[in-house]
Amino acid sequence: MTQSGEPVIRVNDLKKHYGDVKAVDGVTFEVARGEVFGMLGPNGAGKTTTIEVLEGLRSPDSGTVEVFGLDVCKHPGSIKQRIGVQLQSVSLYPRLTVTELIDLFGSFFDHHVPTKQLIDAVDLGERAKAYSMNLSGGQQQRLSIALALVNDPDLVFLDEPTTGLDPQARRSLWDLVKGLQEKGKSVMLTTHYMEEAAELCDRVAIMDHGRILEMGTVPELIGRRFKERAVFFDTSPKLPSEKLAQLGGVTRASQEDGQTLLYSKDVPATIGALLAMADELDFQPHNLGIRQATLEDVFLDLTGRALRD
Amino acid sequence: MKTLLGLTVANLKGLTRDRAALFWTFFFPVMFVLLFGVLFSGSGDSSKITVGYVDLDQSAASAQVRADFALYAPILVLQDGSLDAEKAAMQNGDVSAVIVIPAGLGNVAGSTPGRPLAMTIYIDPSQSQTTQVVQGAVNGVAGGYSMAVATNGGAPALIVAQPQQLSSTNISTVTYLVPSILAMALMQLGVFAAVPLVQQREKGILKRMGATPLERWKLVASNILLRLIVAAADTVLIIGVGMAAFHIQIVGNLVLAAGFVFLGAGAFLALGFMLASFLKTEEQATGVVQVVQMPLMFLSGIFFPFNFMPDFMRSIARLLPLTYLGDGLRQSMVNAPQVAPLALDAAILGGWLVVCLAISARSFRWE
Repeated sequence: MTQSGEPVIRVNDLKKHYGDVKAVDGVTFEVARGEVFGMLGPNGAGKTTTIEVLEGLRSPDSGTVEVFGLDVCKHPGSIKQRIGVQLQSVSLYPRLTVTELIDLFGSFFDHHVPTKQLIDAVDLGERAKAYSMNLSGGQQQRLSIALALVNDPDLVFLDEPTTGLDPQARRSLWDLVKGLQEKGKSVMLTTHYMEEAAELCDRVAIMDHGRILEMGTVPELIGRRFKERAVFFDTSPKLPSEKLAQLGGVTRASQEDGQTLLYSKDVPATIGALLAMADELDFQPHNLGIRQATLEDVFLDLTGRALRD
Repeated sequence: MKTLLGLTVANLKGLTRDRAALFWTFFFPVMFVLLFGVLFSGSGDSSKITVGYVDLDQSAASAQVRADFALYAPILVLQDGSLDAEKAAMQNGDVSAVIVIPAGLGNVAGSTPGRPLAMTIYIDPSQSQTTQVVQGAVNGVAGGYSMAVATNGGAPALIVAQPQQLSSTNISTVTYLVPSILAMALMQLGVFAAVPLVQQREKGILKRMGATPLERWKLVASNILLRLIVAAADTVLIIGVGMAAFHIQIVGNLVLAAGFVFLGAGAFLALGFMLASFLKTEEQATGVVQVVQMPLMFLSGIFFPFNFMPDFMRSIARLLPLTYLGDGLRQSMVNAPQVAPLALDAAILGGWLVVCLAISARSFRWE
């Protein structure tokens, strides 16, 4: 990833209230050119409000919001020419075909990509003449992405692009986003899927209750809170937990659903001690493995609750 | 301009591909024309025409002329009376024309030929079939009488028919109903526009458009343009069916009629926009639109002559804008008797247009 020049997005202390509800409560961040930036958080965290302010759909109560170095309140027209927008759960004119919709949206911009090329890019060639209401969820989402790319934008906003899609459709959308990045586009997306943020984003901001709690690359976010790695194996029956906690390098231990989890500062020492204990107590640690902590662990640690609830 | 047209075409495609919308927009009014046409075109004794007969001469000669009309008894029924009474009867629709035998007919028969004596007939040009029959009969009688006088050795006294126009209310029920049905169709076209608007807002289409450089006025303008195109198509269709199936005569001022079509479509479209400003869901919109259009349809006096309505219904009808659109269209298209002067019709529709648009402009939400 190469980052150079002015950031494409610069937000400073953005606030937006709906009545008494502080939807966005002082958010500050930048997105560099060519970067894929993710906002991760549960529903109601303020992700969508933030992204809609950037798209020029809502005006901020206070704070400065710049896209391409332009104030979004003062230059909405010229910003809209250069951004691509995919909104959360929008359906389109139900009785227009894929081709007609792309043509129509293209006509709103000064410059637009040839329709055929876009249809091929999102792999909708076989449904080009289908009414949008007859498309599957994944196809509608791909059409929605095609419409976001109709003006060959420099910056693309994707608001929960894979919510409600099956795993296969999600994979194919991820490939699309990766393709955008390879073409040097900047992307800002929101999601409440950790694996999506980890897979796609150069940097992630974790948002809750209108604030950014933590921001950085995924390894940074995990590294900041979790120095340990997790050693896991299947056990039945349960092992004495006080003995597990005393094993070399272990800081915390848990046993759930037939799996034992040991957070360890010193994995070789932990595994050595574990195998000695297995000999002594005569059990087999099946499917023994080691993994990093995940964004889910980070979110749990930050907010005290799981991401999807 | 390209954007505006593209958007209008897209909206038009959306409409023509939606069977329910097509039904309400085109099929429903045509069905009304056909239904009412079949119901009412058979009513009344259409084979005989009642004509007012005014004899100002009261001589033997004029009695002869009166007798000559007996030839036309199978199609003409004469109703004798004074000039004022018969003209009033024609305006009320009791007689279709008035024939006036001038004073001096008896003297003319013996005198030297001077200028021909005028036999005035009052006719309503909107009733072309009736007019042809009456003029034919009068010319026949006048010619026959002049010939008879000449052959009997008298001076060839010429009497000629001199038509004068007088508006009659005696227009057929179908002719009365077709502009009324057009008014209904224009009202529905406008009020029903609330539904797709609410739908587009609910589905987030309006919001999605807001994220493109498309200006909002173009979105509004394309909606108006679409409805006016459909209004024009509806007008041609409804009048076309009326003319083809039931031979209604459009005799009024076509420019004025077109003006009322667009003014009416505009006023009810503004009403539709206003409804869309206050409705949130598509289900709500479809319900409320019916609640608005049904009373308009049945209380506005568009399906039965205003004068036949009981007093309290007339007072209600006077409050409803559709009354004035129906009135304006009937006056400008088929010379029907007025409920209000044309200028008042136009002013009331214009007022609805402005007020509803102003409220919409203040209250409309894009998401």
